Amino acid sequence: MTNKLNKKIINIIIIIILGLQFFIYLINQKPFTENFSQKRISVENFSSIVLSKSGITKIGSEKLNKIDENRIYLEGESYLENKEYKIYGKNISINLLDEISSSSDPVKVINSMGTLNAKGFKNLDYDGKIIFMGKVEFVTKN
Amino acid sequence: MMVKLYLWGKLNLLPKIKILYLFLCLIIFSNANSESYVKAGESLIWDSENKNYTANGDVEFSNDKFIAFADKMIAFYIEENDEEIFTIVELFENVVIEFKDEIFKGNYAIYTREDNIIKLTGEVSIKSPTRLLTGNELIADIDNNKRILNSANKESLVEVLLENNAND
Repeated sequence: MTNKLNKKIINIIIIIILGLQFFIYLINQKPFTENFSQKRISVENFSSIVLSKSGITKIGSEKLNKIDENRIYLEGESYLENKEYKIYGKNISINLLDEISSSSDPVKVINSMGTLNAKGFKNLDYDGKIIFMGKVEFVTKN
Repeated sequence: MMVKLYLWGKLNLLPKIKILYLFLCLIIFSNANSESYVKAGESLIWDSENKNYTANGDVEFSNDKFIAFADKMIAFYIEENDEEIFTIVELFENVVIEFKDEIFKGNYAIYTREDNIIKLTGEVSIKSPTRLLTGNELIADIDNNKRILNSANKESLVEVLLENNAND
């Protein structure tokens, strides 16, 4: 009788310990995920390549902020370079899903025709169009 | 002997410096001439698929031939030897083209690089130091220095002698 009671108590203690271990495991999981994702949120002196419709585009900035899975923000002095153009600007937002990059800060663009200066830009890479906003000056070689 | 050698060397060196200077001037001059620009007050759209640039608001376009002003401009280009060259330039609304001492005005203009011809339509005028002509269509052949002014009717073709000519 006493043996049976002891066995039951031991089983209950084991179940409680297992339950506690599972609870501790769950608690430990949360901070780990947070630290991991925080490391991916911002990177300094960043450069990488993005594959889009216009081919391979090299991007770089003083600081990269990842907003979500599809959106990144290039903080500070930034650039986008591919075989068609080189865009040098500041604070550039990139939507990787829609293939749109934009900035409302002054921008300098160099392409095979010449050099362009504008107050901001919106690059609709999927449509093959770049809209330069504000006063624009485009000095060409021909 | 030393003075003679010095002078001989100096005399030989001077023409070379002069030639080099002239050569550098020619390079700088030719580069300055080949530069053109597009200015826009509101926006400029680069459409790489359709190979054109659309400029909006207080547009100014300049090449080695003329300076043009308009509200809107569409410039088409081609790729040649890894370079893009404007081939057709269309100008819309309040078009003013300054070519040497002449000023062309119209509602619409199209310039083709291949034949160097500017065609203006709408309420067209051509102003030179001596006269002012108005009509409906102006074809300015830059290479052959020809101007053809057409009008829909006799009333719309007007010739005005300017003050400079009247005093002569």
